[in-house]
Amino acid sequence: MGQVLRRVITTILFLLVLNPVSVAADASGDNEEPVIDVMGKVVDHDYLELVGGAKVYLPRIFMVDGDWYFFVNTQSAVDSGEFEMQESALVRADGESISLDMSITSHLMYVWFGMLLTLFITFWAASKYKKGVGAETEPKGISQNLFEVFFVFIRDDIAKEYIPGDKHKKFVNYLFSVFLAISFMNLFGLLPWGVATTADLTVTATLAAITFFITQWNGSKDHWQHVFMFPGVHPAMRIILTPVEILGLFTKPFALAIRLFANMLSGKIMIVCILGLIFIFTDIFGPAVGLSSSVFWVGLTALLYILKAFIALLQAYIFTLLSAVFIGMAVEEHHHEHESESSVATATDVQV
Amino acid sequence: MGFLAAGLGAGIIAIGAGIGIGMIGKSAVESIARQPEASGDIRGAMILTAAFIEGVALFGAIVCALLALNITV
Repeated sequence: MGQVLRRVITTILFLLVLNPVSVAADASGDNEEPVIDVMGKVVDHDYLELVGGAKVYLPRIFMVDGDWYFFVNTQSAVDSGEFEMQESALVRADGESISLDMSITSHLMYVWFGMLLTLFITFWAASKYKKGVGAETEPKGISQNLFEVFFVFIRDDIAKEYIPGDKHKKFVNYLFSVFLAISFMNLFGLLPWGVATTADLTVTATLAAITFFITQWNGSKDHWQHVFMFPGVHPAMRIILTPVEILGLFTKPFALAIRLFANMLSGKIMIVCILGLIFIFTDIFGPAVGLSSSVFWVGLTALLYILKAFIALLQAYIFTLLSAVFIGMAVEEHHHEHESESSVATATDVQV
Repeated sequence: MGFLAAGLGAGIIAIGAGIGIGMIGKSAVESIARQPEASGDIRGAMILTAAFIEGVALFGAIVCALLALNITV
């Protein structure tokens, strides 16, 4: 029985990997276009692709000089005559610039999916613990055990380890939810028609901004003293140190955002490019070579998928870990100048 | 010219990041071999440091991508 189940699952997995290939093969029918549109798979869209490649167009919301415009989708915006398409971007028909574009896009939808899933899982687990399952007795079932493994990992190995004292309790909520949300957002990219929404700089920048604000709001007196009045150095050195420290406040979340974004983007581009080799080979050498080489490329893509699944969790872990490190550095209080020297050294090492 | 620069840049980034992560791996494996009971801590520190190197390497990779795709920021 288990053998049959494994075989079915393996077959489905292989078919899922093969499916985007067939969809892309349909798309590359017209010869005028470039062989494969790599960036088109990566950038934000105004539609949500469903299983099978069906598209659901999302609402467009604009503000032009204080007036709000709502449209069901891009087409109705063009039909209304107020907006027109120019180089695949919507602009005002009368030449005015759009002051605020609040359109709902595919990346935004997947951010919401990730958040909803996080909310659902945490509320579900909370209701179980409130009933006493897991709190007074052993946790029951695979899902609750799995939840507890992740939660205890975040709490003990990340929060307790890097945020000193009792203060870690305050931040476990944030760290755990950001870990879950980023994991889901990354893993959505592995679905056949899904989008890894963290391959968008705006999404990762928002996440990093949240970490930045939490870090600064909870900054202790010593944290700010280290930024503006670095203790134990000659006053003239502060002219150099203070700007560097202020810059350091911003480079940390910046690096956080770029790291997650670049990792997810490069994974995505790599998969599209390697699958695209099939069509490039077909274009150059003919369909027979393309078809026979596809076995190799699909196998390589399957390996990359495994790597990507690992990287998705690893990057979520790294984001959470670095958030904890930055928060820990900010909330730390140095009571004795000399004893805390070692911790200061690690604090300055962790700059990028 | 942009393509050439991007290709060369990506290669140099790969060299730098490869050396960096290789050195981390080397010293981590050595330390684990010397002190196997501390392997958990060493692994954590290894991943953290590798993430920093990777971050810097990816900064470069982004610049190369911008060069190759001719995007002006």
